[in-house]
Amino acid sequence: MDTRGLLLDTATRIFSDHCDKALLDAAETGEFPERLFGLIRENGFHGLAMTASEVPLIESFLVLKVAGRFALPLPLAEILLGNRWLDRDDRLIAIGIGDATGARNVPWGRLADSVVAVRESGEVALLGDFTVTEGTNLAGEPRDRVVADSVESLELSDDAFSEMALSRVMLMAGALERVLELSLQYVGEREQFGRPISRFQAIQHHMAVMAAEVAAAVRAADAAAQAIEGDRFFLEVAAAKSRVGESVSVVAELAHQVHGAMGFTHEHQLHHFTRRLWAWRDEFGTELYWQTALGSHVAGLGADALWEFIATRG
Amino acid sequence: MQQFDSIQLPESAEQLRGEVREFLTSQAARLSPPNSDFTTGHDPEFSRLLGGRGWIGMTWPRAYGGAERSFFERYVVTEELLAAGAPVSAHWIADRQSGPLLLRFGSEAQRSRYLPGITRGECFFSIGMSEPNTGSDLASVRTTATKEVEGWRINGTKLWSTDAHRNHFLIALVRTEPASDNRHAGLSQIIVDLREDGAKVRPIRNMAGGQDFNEILFDEVLVPEDRIIGEPGNGWQQVTSELAYERSGPERFLSAFRVLVEFVRAVGPDAEPRAAAVVGRAVAHLLALRRMSISVAGMLEQGKSPDVEAALVKALGNDFEKLLPEMVRLATLEDFTNNDRWSDFREVYSDTLLLSPSFTLRGGTREILRGVIARGLGLR
Ligand SMILES: Cc1cc2nc3c(=O)[nH]c(=O)nc-3n(C[C@H](O)[C@H](O)[C@H](O)COP(=O)(O)OP(=O)(O)OC[C@H]3O[C@@H](n4cnc5c(N)ncnc54)[C@H](O)[C@@H]3O)c2cc1C
Repeated sequence: MDTRGLLLDTATRIFSDHCDKALLDAAETGEFPERLFGLIRENGFHGLAMTASEVPLIESFLVLKVAGRFALPLPLAEILLGNRWLDRDDRLIAIGIGDATGARNVPWGRLADSVVAVRESGEVALLGDFTVTEGTNLAGEPRDRVVADSVESLELSDDAFSEMALSRVMLMAGALERVLELSLQYVGEREQFGRPISRFQAIQHHMAVMAAEVAAAVRAADAAAQAIEGDRFFLEVAAAKSRVGESVSVVAELAHQVHGAMGFTHEHQLHHFTRRLWAWRDEFGTELYWQTALGSHVAGLGADALWEFIATRG
Repeated sequence: MQQFDSIQLPESAEQLRGEVREFLTSQAARLSPPNSDFTTGHDPEFSRLLGGRGWIGMTWPRAYGGAERSFFERYVVTEELLAAGAPVSAHWIADRQSGPLLLRFGSEAQRSRYLPGITRGECFFSIGMSEPNTGSDLASVRTTATKEVEGWRINGTKLWSTDAHRNHFLIALVRTEPASDNRHAGLSQIIVDLREDGAKVRPIRNMAGGQDFNEILFDEVLVPEDRIIGEPGNGWQQVTSELAYERSGPERFLSAFRVLVEFVRAVGPDAEPRAAAVVGRAVAHLLALRRMSISVAGMLEQGKSPDVEAALVKALGNDFEKLLPEMVRLATLEDFTNNDRWSDFREVYSDTLLLSPSFTLRGGTREILRGVIARGLGLR
């Protein structure tokens, strides 16, 4: 197996061994998954995105796709990117939207050793002493409000906001694949009218639409990950966040439809993925935000340059 | 789950792209009015020019006039032609599927007879699958070909055959044995000379005002014995093998592309947020679709037959082609029905909207494609 295969295999093994329903439920009540966190650290994921690791940055984003598959209840994107930006191997770094005075939507801000605030304009602030108000997103993931007394460092980064958006793109791509798998399994098992519901054409068509949307989303996500460090990175993230977000609307809706009432229960695991999808598509820019950015750029190039923009090599 | 690998087009393909663009610039007069629907412009002279460049039958062996280029190079040529709105209809079917079919199943004599003319852009083919009572259920064809001493005698009616009134040959799917319990048995593909054999071709006007598709009547039409493609009775295997070629190309998501181009022109470089957002949304779709289509070209290049992946690209692509005019019309507050700055947009928008019902029908309906995908998912 090559290095990438080994890395993704390790991630898959750890996440699948530990991210069961009980762990996800516990995390939603505010219980931090210490053991899993320790394992991830032991296996070297904390420093994976750091320049010193000499691992290409794309690998970190591919790991996030695996994290999405298992709804990993840890701020892995923030740990990876925070350590990269600050060039240090902190225990727990949290990243939210904000500036030198504080940040909102900070995953696990309440336990973080360091909190970083990023803005669309590219400012990246490492906050000094801070106070935390706890909160959650609609998936029950901790998203805290942090108010800072001071700022330790303030830098400008062209890519920080896009990298955060890409983290959500990759998480969504993984979760979309999982939602498709769960749905495929369910429609094969659930029987009505004396046969599996997968035998009904209406259900087959729902599944075909989901499969197509998931395939498009995954292809869009992979393309954005491949654009890292290229000169179209921002624009490819824009395209991916838009395309993947659109898939989420379709796939989450159909997944629940084919799961019937069972998928609406708290007991079923489907909602751990669909609620995250609904939360992540809003974080670091909705589809509309990125569509406007991408469209403004393309319109600025002019009608006769439109095709050239689409016929990219990568 | 279907896998669409990331593929970077090879350098050779990008070089070719430059040549195609240069050629298209030199042919500007033929490109007006540009429309990226692959069936709207039938221009034999243009096809001959393309043939002269070696851009038809590009992947075929040199022995038959081909260029032995890769599927990626073919991909680049086809997408550049469509994006520019070039009139490609005349040679499109021959290049896309009739030629590859003959290469795979045809006799040596058939290959030598038809393929070089196709690559020169002088020999055009149409498809004769559908009939009055046969649409999605292709195996139900009733047109018969009966073996006689002098050849095959054909009786029946083919319907919707695009460009049959101006192309040279038709590949018809016919019954050569009576229907049996095995619906897929006893079918054959046979070449009809549309000018010589005596089949009656009647053009049918479509709702967009075009006369592209046709009804073809076969009343005791006799064709020589050597027109059968492959083994008699093997028609079903053969006809389904065309599907990956037929369904995965850029013509399955670019039909409405010029609408976006003219929309961008009309809203200008400082587009309002509402317009910009719709442009961004469309571009995001196009980038993903194109990458998926290139992934399928990669599978064809590896000799695979990616039927399910092709159906998936076509299903997504056709829905997008229909969505695009709907999206842009609501992305401006200007009255485009009555405004000079919008006249080019209005023209291509109207054309495309009128053609749009066909996008999710031709080449396999959306519902049939969803069935193919569902089978690929193991649900059928
Ligand atoms: C512009 C254009 C060009 C064409 N060119 C050619 C050509 O060159 N050569 C040629 O042979 N044919 C051609 N066709 C015909 C095309 O292949 C058929 O239109 C297509 O196969 C559908 O058949 P139908 O139109 O008879 O619709 P039908 O098969 O009658 O379908 C009607 C509706 O019922 C749905 N339906 C049918 N079966 C099922 C099912 N099992 N489950 C669910 N829904 C179903 C369909 O999806 C559709 O929505 C062309 C069609 C168009 C519009």
